[in-house]
Amino acid sequence: MNTESAGEKGLGHGWIRRTWVVNGEEVSLSVPPLRRVLDILREELGLTGTKEGCGEGECGTCTILVDDRPVCSCLLVAAQVPDGSRILTIEGLSAMEEGRILEAAYVEAGAVQCGFCIPGMLMASYALLRRNGKPTDAEIREAIAGNICRCTGYVKIVEAIRLAAERIGRAPAGK
Amino acid sequence: MVTVTRRGYIGLPVERTDAIEKAQGKAQYVDDLRRPDMWYGAVVRSPVSHGFIEGLDRDPDFDWSRVVLVTPEDIPGRNVVESLVHDMPFLASQEVRYRGEPVALVAAPTREAARAAAAAVKPRIRAAPSLTVPDDVVRIYKEGGELEYLWRQDIRKGDIERGFREAEIVVEREYRTGYAEQLYLEPQGMIAVPQEDGGVLIEGSMQCPYYVHPELCALLNLPPEKVRVRQTVVGGAFGGKEDFPSLIAGYCALLALKSGRAVKMVFDREEDILFTTKRHPSWVRHRTGLTRDGRITGWQVDFLLIGGAYATLSPVVLARGIIHATIGYRCDNVLIEGRVVRTHMPPSGAFRGFGAPQAFWALESHVDELAEACGMRPDEFRLRNAYRGGDTMATGQKVPEEYGGPAVLRKALEQSRFEARFAHCSRGSTLTDRWYGIGLAYFCHGAGFTGDGEARIKARAAVELAGGGEGGPLVVIRASSTEMGQGAQTVLRQIVAEALGVPIESVSYPLPDTALVPDSGPTVASRTTMVVGAVLYDAAVAMKKALEGFVSQQFFDGADCVLEEAVFRSGSGQAVDFERAVQDYLRTAERQQRFEAVFSLPPGSQWDQENFRGDAYPDYSWACYVAEVEVERATLAIRPIRVTAVLDIGRVVNPVLAEGQVEGGLVQGLGYAMMEKVGVRDGLFEADRLQTYIVPGVLDIPEIRITFLEFPYRYSGPGAKGLGELPLNGVAPAIGNALKHAVGRRIHDLPLTPEKLFRAIEERLVEQ
Repeated sequence: MNTESAGEKGLGHGWIRRTWVVNGEEVSLSVPPLRRVLDILREELGLTGTKEGCGEGECGTCTILVDDRPVCSCLLVAAQVPDGSRILTIEGLSAMEEGRILEAAYVEAGAVQCGFCIPGMLMASYALLRRNGKPTDAEIREAIAGNICRCTGYVKIVEAIRLAAERIGRAPAGK
Repeated sequence: MVTVTRRGYIGLPVERTDAIEKAQGKAQYVDDLRRPDMWYGAVVRSPVSHGFIEGLDRDPDFDWSRVVLVTPEDIPGRNVVESLVHDMPFLASQEVRYRGEPVALVAAPTREAARAAAAAVKPRIRAAPSLTVPDDVVRIYKEGGELEYLWRQDIRKGDIERGFREAEIVVEREYRTGYAEQLYLEPQGMIAVPQEDGGVLIEGSMQCPYYVHPELCALLNLPPEKVRVRQTVVGGAFGGKEDFPSLIAGYCALLALKSGRAVKMVFDREEDILFTTKRHPSWVRHRTGLTRDGRITGWQVDFLLIGGAYATLSPVVLARGIIHATIGYRCDNVLIEGRVVRTHMPPSGAFRGFGAPQAFWALESHVDELAEACGMRPDEFRLRNAYRGGDTMATGQKVPEEYGGPAVLRKALEQSRFEARFAHCSRGSTLTDRWYGIGLAYFCHGAGFTGDGEARIKARAAVELAGGGEGGPLVVIRASSTEMGQGAQTVLRQIVAEALGVPIESVSYPLPDTALVPDSGPTVASRTTMVVGAVLYDAAVAMKKALEGFVSQQFFDGADCVLEEAVFRSGSGQAVDFERAVQDYLRTAERQQRFEAVFSLPPGSQWDQENFRGDAYPDYSWACYVAEVEVERATLAIRPIRVTAVLDIGRVVNPVLAEGQVEGGLVQGLGYAMMEKVGVRDGLFEADRLQTYIVPGVLDIPEIRITFLEFPYRYSGPGAKGLGELPLNGVAPAIGNALKHAVGRRIHDLPLTPEKLFRAIEERLVEQ
């Protein structure tokens, strides 16, 4: 996929070129160096599953994984993400077995209300489960401590992650 | 724990319809939408709290070639938000009454360009004196100084003089609360798309499409059919998207009509916190007469809310506040005086609870102090004074013989082992490093609109037959109630499926669009499941009867039949499938496809809006919270460890969703109780971002135990009462009371912070 910033042709003055692996697909873009990764994902790549809650890294709504680490995409600018970085968003997670298990667990546990925090919450949940397949409740809480949910009171989100951990542990190909 | 009765779909924990799309990131919130040739809007705001506009200067160095500017002169219709009191303009044209008040609008091809253009418009304003700080308002009020009131309302019962003549003890205390922000995670946002016929289509994040619709007709001078309002997926609202969306929709529409393009406006977090509605700060003084054995003889309440620059919803917030000010407890002589003060701050507005959280902070703190004054335990005092069947409330509304209040109170006391644990409270003992306290709050929430609200709204909703086919729905709900995260889309489908006797998959409930749905009233006041659910149940029963009549004639030679589990069966065992019957029925065009019903109040309901006498609400949901807290003596860190919650919300339609409402409301209430604080500086809210406005995270929550007891609403098919707001109402006083019994000192103003605890303890040391 080759993408350039909206409405502009070619490399703008002072822009940089970046090649990342977004959701398993190689993407090359020309962007201003200080453009937020959040905006690149949403506006350049049309990946609107990543939401903006606060714009200053406090709410975790815009969480994505860069080389398997959860980060707030509103605090990350293009220049900070080197060529070859692997970026995973909710759209990519959805296409994975672990993603489907997590989503189903969230739905079953009743952990989704308005849903605006949920993509970020799922990214943080996945980041936890890929390094720790059998988290304790305290570890689950720690993993989503940077994600704000204003609807659920978190009880059912913790339940959902617990449920998903059990299922991923049982899934034959799961990690 | 959930103990609910099941009756088909009512009581069944059906999974949410909308959850999977949201979890996959596919749900389209307003900022995820783009329209062809769309521009972005921004607001030009007043730099001063109060003043008179002398002109607007445009920066001559700015490139204005691709900018559209809207000033009050561009408004084709009326420049006023009609709401309840017609006092707020869309754009201030002469006087500005708060810092940040909109004075003009701009649109440009990108967000950045729009913001730059807004910054390049400089309003010239002659500044005037202003009143912005809530503490100043309270001081002036107590000194008897001059204040402007946006609204006043009193409630009188019996003879207040006599109430105090009979008193042996009089307790007088003041309680305060501050501003609070809804902090829905999805900021306010709208898109307006101009239509070929000169009209406009509005899409966006809102609770009440039929609040937006008439406002735009008046603002744009357009007939109703030329304004169409469509809800997009809403990322939380909590009252914050009740009235404010009318403003932002108006701004987008003005820009769209002037520019001839689609215009989107989405606030960033700072703009959203700074310039949209907050919970009203309050100051409440209770003066209560008691006999020594703990009977309440007279009750006088001074109830002050800070309303901000314009009235907007304040009259109704005040109404709910004063009705709940002494609710739950028997007293023959009551005087409640309510006022909303005008200041130079953004209008205070709706936030989950709508006046009731302020009322219960004062009431349930005060009742603990009353118990103490007559030497009783808090639970004993409440059980002694709780309404009994046949008692009357302050408005004169009669308490039914059987109601949920005493039952939830007893159950919560028993489950939390209140009496035994109360004996072990630390009360500031120097013998321990960790103080423990337990406290309770007994509270309710009037379900449905206040006073004459439901009678005025006459909520309408409909069910429509559709063709099915390709797995499409056979039945479509047409109501203006919005899904904003609370689960309306799922719960209302359950109610319709139950009334009809069909699987829930056959019933769809698309997001409301004013071109297609009747006015079911706003999605507020804990009324959706109870009121709109009741209307839809009746509409579905009418549809069921029509279909049964049709099938009886068409298939069973006139023999009676019943629709159950998607099959029509006659007495003699003949059967016809629901889908086939609907398709046959729809083959003839003149058959009735749409079945509409209207809400009716319980028989004999009476309300006197002028004197606030009568049946203030169709029914009440009741709850009791018992909170347990620990305080680290060295640091005064306060940790809530457990909340035992027992609630009567009538029939529980979906126990998992209901629990989710309680958990969410409880944690939101915990933020109000302990964390969320907005000061005022230079006419602006001081906490203007998530770094400074701190809301609860997962590490802040206590263990939560929930039990539902069902005392159904007797005047509807589903029997549900209100749920959405109740869970927030009682959190703060339950924690405050627990803290008092942990530390031995009471804090009278929210939020309950270690700093205030430190001062309270210092005062005690000085006294000693």
